[in-house]
Amino acid sequence: MSARLEARGVKRTLIDADDEVPLVRGVSFSVNAGEFVAILGPSGCGKSSLLYLLGLLDRPTEGEVLLDGAHTSGLSADERTRLRLEKIGFVFQFHFLLPEFTAMENVALPMRRLARLSRVEAEARATLLLDALGLKGEGRKRPSQMSGGQRQRVAIARSLANDPVLILCDEPTGNLDSVNSEMVVRVFQRLAHEEGRAIVCVTHDDNVAAAADRRIRMRDGEIVADER
Amino acid sequence: MSANIALLLHIAFAHLRVRARQTIVAMLGVSVGVGFFLAVSAMMIGSQTDFIRTLIDSAPHIIVRDEARAPPQQPANERFGDGAVQMHGLRARDEVRGLKDWPAMLEAARAIPGVSAAPALSGGVAVRFAGRTEALGLTGVDPRIANQIVDLDEDLVGGQLADLENVQNGLIVSTQVGRRLGANIGDTVVISSSVGVVQRARIVAFIDSDARAGAEGAAYALLRTAQVLFARPNIVNQIQIRVPNPDLALTVAAQLEAQWGYKWESWQERSRDIMNALVIRNIIMYAVISAILLVASFGVYTVISTNVTEKRRDIAIMRAMGFADHDVTRVFLIEGVVVGALGAASGFVLGTILMQILASIPFRIMGDVFYIPLDRGIHQYAIAGGVSMFSAAIAAWLPARRAAKVDPVDILRGAA
Repeated sequence: MSARLEARGVKRTLIDADDEVPLVRGVSFSVNAGEFVAILGPSGCGKSSLLYLLGLLDRPTEGEVLLDGAHTSGLSADERTRLRLEKIGFVFQFHFLLPEFTAMENVALPMRRLARLSRVEAEARATLLLDALGLKGEGRKRPSQMSGGQRQRVAIARSLANDPVLILCDEPTGNLDSVNSEMVVRVFQRLAHEEGRAIVCVTHDDNVAAAADRRIRMRDGEIVADER
Repeated sequence: MSANIALLLHIAFAHLRVRARQTIVAMLGVSVGVGFFLAVSAMMIGSQTDFIRTLIDSAPHIIVRDEARAPPQQPANERFGDGAVQMHGLRARDEVRGLKDWPAMLEAARAIPGVSAAPALSGGVAVRFAGRTEALGLTGVDPRIANQIVDLDEDLVGGQLADLENVQNGLIVSTQVGRRLGANIGDTVVISSSVGVVQRARIVAFIDSDARAGAEGAAYALLRTAQVLFARPNIVNQIQIRVPNPDLALTVAAQLEAQWGYKWESWQERSRDIMNALVIRNIIMYAVISAILLVASFGVYTVISTNVTEKRRDIAIMRAMGFADHDVTRVFLIEGVVVGALGAASGFVLGTILMQILASIPFRIMGDVFYIPLDRGIHQYAIAGGVSMFSAAIAAWLPARRAAKVDPVDILRGAA
């Protein structure tokens, strides 16, 4: 299987006044299509920083991130934005939906930004994605009218909007009860195993770790274990 | 690649709807600015146009006098030119006063489409009645064509310009002079000219000097009568011209002056000091109005700036989703332009209502009822709309640039 995502000696150092704070100290690994990877480790070990680097939201100080076999270090900000739009879906701990828009409109936003579909087509596809996540008939609600579990599923539906090859999650079950966590985990397994997407999930949640195909453990900005 | 404008508009309107109250306050700021701009400029331009119209119509658009702009060349200069010897103390040749070739000049002026021209002879006279004397400037005119140049009849009381021809030596003086002399219509006065000719004349009408500025010391008679009084038969020292569009007076005057010599004085040249005062008045008006619109754009700045600060989280999530930095800048820029456009539109309504109110207020001045003259030109709306939209766009652009600088990683890290 081909590597969807590859990190090659990725380092990220925060330069704060005279102080250099290393966040990620040289990380290398690759994730294949259809693989569900959990990144584990104590708070402040650099998991989230690594996730932002993998998601092209941040640039590594050293090393490189390859997406679908393509180098990303030489790309302009606009080209990286374009890649994020087309190939990467994000799910965060807090749902991070836009409060002024309905669930359906939130899911449709990345499609309308990509502009391959018309607004009507985008909203129709958004409704299908919500249906598939058990949110049939909830599309017209605003985030403030929904429960935490529902919101997180809307966020997952939104991450799927442009049919990404890679989904990056930061503590996706951090704010959910066990029933909702269980449901989210099963969604990720389906997205990886049935739809062939690569999923990288930063988490503290043992249930998520147990459900993943692979567990990468980090400490002080470095990978200390990579278990299958 | 940028997001399509419909999507950005959708997001911008969603933001504005959430902060409806602040948005409306900012919009009202713009609309008050635009409304008062329209009302004040309509008044200023209206009164200026009215004033200029009175200024133009109270006298011919162009007056040609038997004066040149430079002293005439003396025969000695013509003969020897500017040689090595300068000549002083030459006895100047006496020019015959009056316009030479005036019938040809009259023809030339009348040949221009829409232009009317009339000959006149003017000079100083003394008018005596019942032992009282008044010094006046008498203009001899042809009543049949003089009214085409300046509508004198409009301001005449007790008679018409044409009445000059109905009596022997008819005369028109101002009401004020009539009162001072104690003379009434039909009374016979004695005129003596500067060259010593004395004649009897009968008053046929009065000029209402309250209605016509500068008419107090004026007197009118037939051209023929004036030529006898000044002992200059068949001579004319003035041509009075009316052009179809007063703005053309300057160019027509310059063109004819180049052809004929003499001093062709347009109303613009005659009223230069007043025109300068009007320019200064306009500068003051536009300065005050710009200040109002500038203050209005502070409101736009505030609401957009607040939106950018409050939406930092949303900006971060949009950036993660795949919106570019210039997309988010545009969202906030559009918000400002929308506030400006709504403000300008409601300002148009406010301004139109204010004008309607101003136009309906009657002013009583010495018994006469006046209404404020208003200029409701479309270009005032265009200026107000354009300036307010532009300043709103600038006011929004300043904080909108900040939206592009929001680093999504900082926000995500802080929230996680």
